[in-house]
Amino acid sequence: MSSAPKGSGAAPETPLPPGVLRAVQLRGMFVQASWNYRTMQGNGMAWAMLPVLRRASEERRAAALDRHAEHFNGHPYFDSVALGALSRLEVDEADPETIRRFRAAIRGPLGALGDRVVWATAVPSFALLAAVLYWMGVPGAVVAFVFLVAYNALHLAIRAQGFALGWEAGTAVGPRLRGLDLTGRAERFAALTLALVGVVSGVLLAGGRGVGALEWPWFVAALGAFFVGYVGGVRLWRPTAIVTVGAVAILLALGSASLLSG
Amino acid sequence: MTVVLYRVDERLIHGQVVLGWGRELRADRYVVVDDALADSEWEQELYRLSVADEHDVVFATLAAARAALPTWQVDGGRTVVLTRDVTTMADLAEGVATDGAEVNLGGIHHRPGRREVRPYLFLDDEDRDAVRRLVDAGTRVTGRDLPAATRVGLDQLLA
Repeated sequence: MSSAPKGSGAAPETPLPPGVLRAVQLRGMFVQASWNYRTMQGNGMAWAMLPVLRRASEERRAAALDRHAEHFNGHPYFDSVALGALSRLEVDEADPETIRRFRAAIRGPLGALGDRVVWATAVPSFALLAAVLYWMGVPGAVVAFVFLVAYNALHLAIRAQGFALGWEAGTAVGPRLRGLDLTGRAERFAALTLALVGVVSGVLLAGGRGVGALEWPWFVAALGAFFVGYVGGVRLWRPTAIVTVGAVAILLALGSASLLSG
Repeated sequence: MTVVLYRVDERLIHGQVVLGWGRELRADRYVVVDDALADSEWEQELYRLSVADEHDVVFATLAAARAALPTWQVDGGRTVVLTRDVTTMADLAEGVATDGAEVNLGGIHHRPGRREVRPYLFLDDEDRDAVRRLVDAGTRVTGRDLPAATRVGLDQLLA
């Protein structure tokens, strides 16, 4: 019946009740609740899609549930992009093969984005910023509160904007994601984190007396550590990186011990 | 020979391939052999998202890949050749010189009818037939998800 281009971003002809897409988004929160080695997030994705799938025509419904339960492994926050786009494709009654191929193509990039932006950048950076706050003398409970609010503001923004982007762009979401340059932004944010690691290490070495009490050799050492990490860190083979971090930790411990006894 | 990896992976280009293998093998070109994908702009855009801008990504039909493979084997690039299924890899290898090359089965997921070899590797009869064709074509077929993992030999793949 529908003659609009399938999943091309054209507005759906039958407007959805407003709650349906919101229900998909909320269910997306539990996308990993039945994670397994066979289909990974497949069950979770199918369950999240149910509010949209229930509205599908009789002949589409069973097959639709099957295809959304197939293997999927992206990232729990960035899966929202896929949920948005897949909702659009199902509502537009796109060709099932197109939907299957879209799922197969989008999971890898979303996993990579989530790894870089959230696990490798946001989590360590926000934790470190919290550590800096605590070191500055902010009470622990306040630091924990600020950390949780700030981190989840980012988390929920990714979910909400990701879903909206997917719903709007459908299968054409690739260039839109590239245009956002999330990886580039994460890299710059990670550089800031590394600078903080350097400064905080220097401060810890100086015996926790604060930046004001930081003598210049520690500051130089911190800057040096930052540049070594920034230039060499990404090229280190993982066991090498573990050994390096271990060695630095031992040096830090020895340094603090000698400072404390001296 | 500068095809550094032949890999069968349903996910085609993704983190494990680009970061796990590509970095280890210093790959600078990713060739995806898939007839439908060669003709689908929006899908290509999605797969390109996983690769840094300085790397070359080529989407080729099976016929085009068979024609270009001898060039990829000798030119300056360090190429990773990817297919979605074992059958396409066997079609690509047959008659085109891939003697002694190792074909890596790295990600074929569960589907009704497929039997588990490893958590990342499920094969059905059609897949096993294609594995035999690859062996007949002179390649060495092994299962391995990441460079550091132990190879899964033919005896287990065909069991």
